[in-house]
Amino acid sequence: MRKTSILVCLLISFFFSFSQTTRPPEVDKSPMDVSYYPNNYPILKIQNKATEPLVVRILYSRPQKQGRKVFGELVEFGKVWRLGANEATEIEFYKDVKIGGKKVPKGRYTLYGIVSENVWTMIINKDTDTWGAFKYDSKKDVLRTDVPAQKTDEVVESMSMFFEKTANGISLIIAWEQLKVALPITL
Amino acid sequence: MKKILLAALLPVLFFSCTEPENKTAGNDTPAKADATVKVLPPVSNYTNPDRSPMDIVYFPTDYPLLKMTGKTTTPPLMRVIYSRPQKQGRQIFGGLVQYNMPWRLGANESTEIELFSAATVAGKPVKPGRYILYCIPQETKWTFVLNSNLYSWGLEQNRQKDLMQFEVPVEKTNLAIEYFTIACEKKSEKSTALVFLWDDVKAKLPVSF
Repeated sequence: MRKTSILVCLLISFFFSFSQTTRPPEVDKSPMDVSYYPNNYPILKIQNKATEPLVVRILYSRPQKQGRKVFGELVEFGKVWRLGANEATEIEFYKDVKIGGKKVPKGRYTLYGIVSENVWTMIINKDTDTWGAFKYDSKKDVLRTDVPAQKTDEVVESMSMFFEKTANGISLIIAWEQLKVALPITL
Repeated sequence: MKKILLAALLPVLFFSCTEPENKTAGNDTPAKADATVKVLPPVSNYTNPDRSPMDIVYFPTDYPLLKMTGKTTTPPLMRVIYSRPQKQGRQIFGGLVQYNMPWRLGANESTEIELFSAATVAGKPVKPGRYILYCIPQETKWTFVLNSNLYSWGLEQNRQKDLMQFEVPVEKTNLAIEYFTIACEKKSEKSTALVFLWDDVKAKLPVSF
């Protein structure tokens, strides 16, 4: 019955949608998501279980593979990529950190990547609140650093980003299809 | 083709008449499900997208696109980051979202509002900065609350960190909105209403810069 009701609702909303003049925005095909270090910080915070302050937050949109060949085709090798979909990926540091040996003062940045099969060039850029990498301006780079790409065992359907604790700090893991990189961040 | 459409519509009409009897059954809601949320080790690191996906609204509307296409050179004025639960046949206001109880205006994390310039919100001056925004809905009016407890999950509000409140009347919409939606209704270059839409309810919070 439940399935029928959902179907009915869908059909009804489908038919009604013709008569409606203004419709609110649809949900994005590549939904936005957020990751933090410490992981799940907002939940830890309201449970009073956070043992360290918030270090970093990344806001990105998650395209799906949907049977397509991603790297080398959908995402071309050697070109600046927004690391996701829609708006450019935003990374915000709540304290000064070091990436690729360079200091990154606390603040909000855009994160881009130039991908290839073996090495990704990660770019931290000062120009925020922008769409894609269409207006990427290398003059606003804070730094570039190369990280090796690895193969994943499983096929990652939805592009994923999350943080992992390491001996020297943390790593931002970025994975899609069967490629994965780790960007080391020294705290 | 017309016949096929008609054939498709008939069962719809039939079922929609019998539908209300089942409406009250089973209210296992995402919002309630995460009331018991524990931080569990993930099965795979590569998680699926959230059931209530996150979204972002800028003022000026679509600011990143305007910027990309060279249609604006000034900084954005405001942005809101929220998650979008769905109605899924449930009664929302007075049901899933209880009256007189704080509501996170979305799902998952608290809704975040960032004012990039000094603003006037519902007639009151507000300093530029990042806040969380929640509301206390009633049948005929909503009380919006700005709070400083950033980066928090939206199930619990730390009321001690409330900064300001704004009361606005609510309107009814003709059509039930499936996805909770926040949008900007532009009044002028520097003035907008943040519009909150879900089910058959619409609330507007005027913001100008």
